[in-house]
Amino acid sequence: MSKKKLTKLQSWLIFGIAMAVVFALGFLASALMERRAEVASIFNNRKNPMTGIVAQNQKFQSDFPREYETWRATEKTDFRSKYMSSDIQDVLEERPNMVVLWAGYAFSWDYNSPRGHFHALEDHREILRTGSPTTLTDGSNQPGTCWTCKGPDVPRLMEEVGPAEFYKANWAKWGADVVNPIGCSDCHDSETMDLHISRPALCEAFAAMGKDVDKATHNEMRSLVCAQCHVEYYFHDYPETPEKDQYLTFPWKYGLTLEDAEKYYDEMGYADYIHALSKAPILKAQHPGYETSLQGIHGQRGVTCADCHMPYTAEGGVKYSDHQIQSPLAKMDRTCLVCHRESEETLRANVEERQEKCLEVRGRLEDLLAKAHIEAKYAWDKGATEAEMKDALQDIRKSQWRWDYAVASHGASFHAPQEMLRLMGDGIDYAGQARLKIAKVLANHGFTGEVPMPDISTKEKAQAYIGLDMKDRQEKKAKFMDEIVPQWLSLAKENGKLLDY
Amino acid sequence: MTKISLTRPLKIALIALAGAFVGAGLLFMYMLRFHTYLGDDPSACVNCHIMQPYYATWDHSSHKNVTTCNECHVPHENVARKYAFKGVDGMKHTAAFLSFSEPQVPAAKDPSAQVVMNNCIRCHQDLVTSMTNVGKMDFKMTENGEGKACWDCHRDVPHGGKNSLSATVNAQVPFPDSPVPEWLQKAIGHKSPHGHLHGK
Repeated sequence: MSKKKLTKLQSWLIFGIAMAVVFALGFLASALMERRAEVASIFNNRKNPMTGIVAQNQKFQSDFPREYETWRATEKTDFRSKYMSSDIQDVLEERPNMVVLWAGYAFSWDYNSPRGHFHALEDHREILRTGSPTTLTDGSNQPGTCWTCKGPDVPRLMEEVGPAEFYKANWAKWGADVVNPIGCSDCHDSETMDLHISRPALCEAFAAMGKDVDKATHNEMRSLVCAQCHVEYYFHDYPETPEKDQYLTFPWKYGLTLEDAEKYYDEMGYADYIHALSKAPILKAQHPGYETSLQGIHGQRGVTCADCHMPYTAEGGVKYSDHQIQSPLAKMDRTCLVCHRESEETLRANVEERQEKCLEVRGRLEDLLAKAHIEAKYAWDKGATEAEMKDALQDIRKSQWRWDYAVASHGASFHAPQEMLRLMGDGIDYAGQARLKIAKVLANHGFTGEVPMPDISTKEKAQAYIGLDMKDRQEKKAKFMDEIVPQWLSLAKENGKLLDY
Repeated sequence: MTKISLTRPLKIALIALAGAFVGAGLLFMYMLRFHTYLGDDPSACVNCHIMQPYYATWDHSSHKNVTTCNECHVPHENVARKYAFKGVDGMKHTAAFLSFSEPQVPAAKDPSAQVVMNNCIRCHQDLVTSMTNVGKMDFKMTENGEGKACWDCHRDVPHGGKNSLSATVNAQVPFPDSPVPEWLQKAIGHKSPHGHLHGK
């Protein structure tokens, strides 16, 4: 080893060369990282081109990882707001009056607040209302129509057998077919990923209004794909056909307000069921979320469902829609705060105030309506005639239609609080009028005292009061879940319709 | 005083290490485009793509013709305060950017809001002191309820209301070119002639 001393020049040379080498290596590392970024962008381009309805949601995962992962997160049930959650809540347990309001209809058996899209099929099979088929293809009290909104297998089936055949089959017939929960192909064209309408009912409803849904703008489509399902509907029966058609129809001919739908139903003399206690011809409102949101200030300003329920999210330089569809209160930083300058706490308090006030009026209406049904039954028992009861029963029908329309439309206390309070205010008025008329009928039959009220303080007591045998229904359901459902699923797997998650 | 004597190879290694350290530091400054932060060119702010919506909305506003980002967002009382504020803000932003902790909807923090409001008053002095008295307020007073901040009324100035990170995703803004020089891109066989992913 040489003992020679380093000269100053040599020292600087070594220093400089090392510096330059590191700098040059840095360039190469940087170039390498850019090539890596290209790999990521190739990954974001489609590797699996598809066409038509692709029901298996997993097939979209590799091409659309962000959308898929957030959609997958609709499985989560951990969100809680002041009054709602993303988990199942037994609404009949919380509000036993509703058992009485739905006496004579399957909703009095079982009614839960909904979970996310990922759970649509599990929850649909498990709810008592869909009945308990005893064979793989038959034995439910419900038609095929009930599956319509439960997943992308439905448009696939409709293409195969036609909507009419799909609707009128027994619910059990499609059990081994509708196996993928609400997902990609329900709203997207699998080839272009453009938003599309996958089910006929919305197109037919637009046609009934003299409009063409194909002319909708992209912004309108950001609500209309939701409006395929989150709307008021009924099952139409064409009188000229021999069997029950169970044809899914929206009552939109005269427009999208409650009064427009009421006019439509009244004209055809339609009732979803005759109430078991009061014998009132009841309209059951499904979830008119789309219609009611149009009545509110956000809808009126052109804010779409996706703007708040699927907020844009920036991840690095990539912008995508969050497909974890849920309450906008769960991610206020990218929903409310994108437009509003107020703090999160202020905005949350604004929402809760609207919910609280709507719930207050709802509670009063629910109580009055339950009393009206019970008093009507009492009048029948005292020998009231149909002619005497007719007007009162029409008032009950109107009142309950308003109550249900407000209550069943998810989020309406926020979407359109002024409209909901108007409807429920009208509902209170109609319920009061009904009770007055019933009191007169009772007086005519010599009864002027207080109508005795049953104890309906819990779900069980209310169900016992309206004469339901819940034990039998629950046992049959458990048997169906144990025996039929696993066979449906293994059949679907054998046929390649269901993939493992 | 004892002189620490090093062997020749150790000396060489230490000098090389010092060179590497300085080289890496310079590289970091280069990748950061540090020199751009010394001036007032607004394109420096989109070195970080998060600022795209803010650049794009300013670029389409009436303020574009008379202001730069710095005109409003850093103090102008004196040069020392300007660069001190810029330095502190810049370090916070670098930390947030590198740790992926930016909010989806960024908003000015109080010290920043104070600076912005002072700058509104600085340029619009005649308007807000001779015609009205609002120029006599500062941001702290508005926090105590003694009046409103400028943007409580002029809500769309200059960024067009509220923005989120995803507000103007496809807007054309002068993103920085690739840090890899063109000759090197050619040498390593990069296909794109200009070699940048974002483009101007």
